[in-house]
Amino acid sequence: MTDIARRERAARISALPFERVETHRRGLFAGTRGSLSQLWKFRELLGLLVRRELKAKYKDSSLGFIWSFIKPIMLLLIYYFAIGQFLGAQRSIPMFGIFVFAGLVLWGLYSEILVGGTMSILQNAALIKKVSLPREIFPLASVGSAFVNFLFQAVVLAVAVVAFGQATATWDVFYAIPAVLIVLVYGTALASLLAALNVYLRDVQYLVDVAVLMLFWLSPIVYSYQMVASVIGGTWIESVYLANPITVAVLAFQRAVWLPGPATQTGLAELGVDPTTMYPADLDIRIIIMLAIGAVLVWLSHRIFLRLQGNFAQEI
Amino acid sequence: MSPSKSEAVAEAPIVVRLEDVSKHFVVRKEKSLKERLVNFGRSRRHREDFYALRDVGFEIPVGQTVGLVGHNGSGKSTLLKVIGGIITPNAGVVERRGRIAALLELGAGFHPDLTGRENVYLNGSVLGLSRQQIDDFFNSIVDFSEIGDFIDTQVKFYSSGMYVRLAFAVAVHVDPDILLVDEVLAVGDEPFQRKCMAKIEEFQREGRTIILVSHSSGQIAEVCDRVIVLSHGHLVFDGDVEPGLQALADSFTNPAPTSTEEHA
Repeated sequence: MTDIARRERAARISALPFERVETHRRGLFAGTRGSLSQLWKFRELLGLLVRRELKAKYKDSSLGFIWSFIKPIMLLLIYYFAIGQFLGAQRSIPMFGIFVFAGLVLWGLYSEILVGGTMSILQNAALIKKVSLPREIFPLASVGSAFVNFLFQAVVLAVAVVAFGQATATWDVFYAIPAVLIVLVYGTALASLLAALNVYLRDVQYLVDVAVLMLFWLSPIVYSYQMVASVIGGTWIESVYLANPITVAVLAFQRAVWLPGPATQTGLAELGVDPTTMYPADLDIRIIIMLAIGAVLVWLSHRIFLRLQGNFAQEI
Repeated sequence: MSPSKSEAVAEAPIVVRLEDVSKHFVVRKEKSLKERLVNFGRSRRHREDFYALRDVGFEIPVGQTVGLVGHNGSGKSTLLKVIGGIITPNAGVVERRGRIAALLELGAGFHPDLTGRENVYLNGSVLGLSRQQIDDFFNSIVDFSEIGDFIDTQVKFYSSGMYVRLAFAVAVHVDPDILLVDEVLAVGDEPFQRKCMAKIEEFQREGRTIILVSHSSGQIAEVCDRVIVLSHGHLVFDGDVEPGLQALADSFTNPAPTSTEEHA
């Protein structure tokens, strides 16, 4: 009986094509395609890894997921009072609470992807050393778990927008989609690149921590674009400022959730501020360009990742 | 090789094929960033290529049980990882087909904070099973592991024996065509080891290909029908078990330092 099983197995295997283990001599696009099909095979694992990350994060804590709300709410309170009330940003930005929270939620997604993604390969060292897997799956799982956390916070944001009577029927709401997409695209590109580099040079993880602190202030999250434009508007510094993809994403996100609100509009009118000065005039084109560049960057960083991953098992 | 054996080999399809596979590691002598910067231009002088594998090539047909042996640092674990796709070789061709499962470490990827059940799904998925397959195998996995009601307990509360049993149970349910085993059979108590060996024999009867790294000549003699001996990254013997173990003994007494090449 086992003889039949043996012969069946032999017959089945002889019909299979050989799989070649890569030695980095594949063409630029063939390698990408091959690894994408590998990735597709492991999509269920990706889901499980995301769930593992979310579950393990707050396991054994009695408040559990509530913790993922506490941090952004604390930040909201700090910025609302310290900058909105004491420093007086409230006076030039109506509905400052929603303005800040919109920026914080989107920024939280980006920083979580960067910090979590950078550590993802090292944290899964046990698997990488012992099991053959498409390793891109680990930075992608970090992106996934950050995105799930973001969705929870986005629900809180949406509730706040409705509760304060700021929900309006306008097409501008759809700016939220490209805003999130930009963050995901650049986050994925950077996370996989930094994760791979971090294996070889552990300083990367500390560098990312510092960079995240600095980048936070380079996007209009606690101050408005109009304030920036009034200082550096029209100069080359403004072009540099707007070349930051996250800045464009934050501006698009604010235009979706904060700007159309009735209280925002009347507040701006009372201040005598034109609402269209809250974002650059060519925002649409900037969004499209940023997404196009981001897509190329994802591909490029994936190529670099594939090149670097051959030695992961020894370098970790 | 006896003529009857090579005949059997000739008709069996090949599952693993290696051709001139080499893997070298760069061993840098200076460690700190400062030293690297200072010696930037002359850094070639400060690096040393260590060849873990050098021009290794062989073919393994379906259903064979191959023992990879050699002294410590001979490159056998590296070779196993190259076959498993965990390490990319620097040169050469590695081809394989069929589902491959690597038992390089039992429970790699178990997350201590998750329950046994969650880890079965995670680990099964890591080894390439679909959710549906794990659902189907789940009871059988739990039975084999003898974990019982502890399956819904977090893995960090398991004893090391329970941990290993559960991991082994998942791995043997992957239904591999090629099973890579690295020393893991040396863990667990005696009944469990017997269970492992029984499973290996069952795999052999089912015509699965097994590639085994072991330091135990007794184990090799018991289960393998072919031995590959490595010494300093070179393949020094490939053939039947008895002369293979003799060649292994020779490589202990007669280490070949000529094969460790250092790039000046």
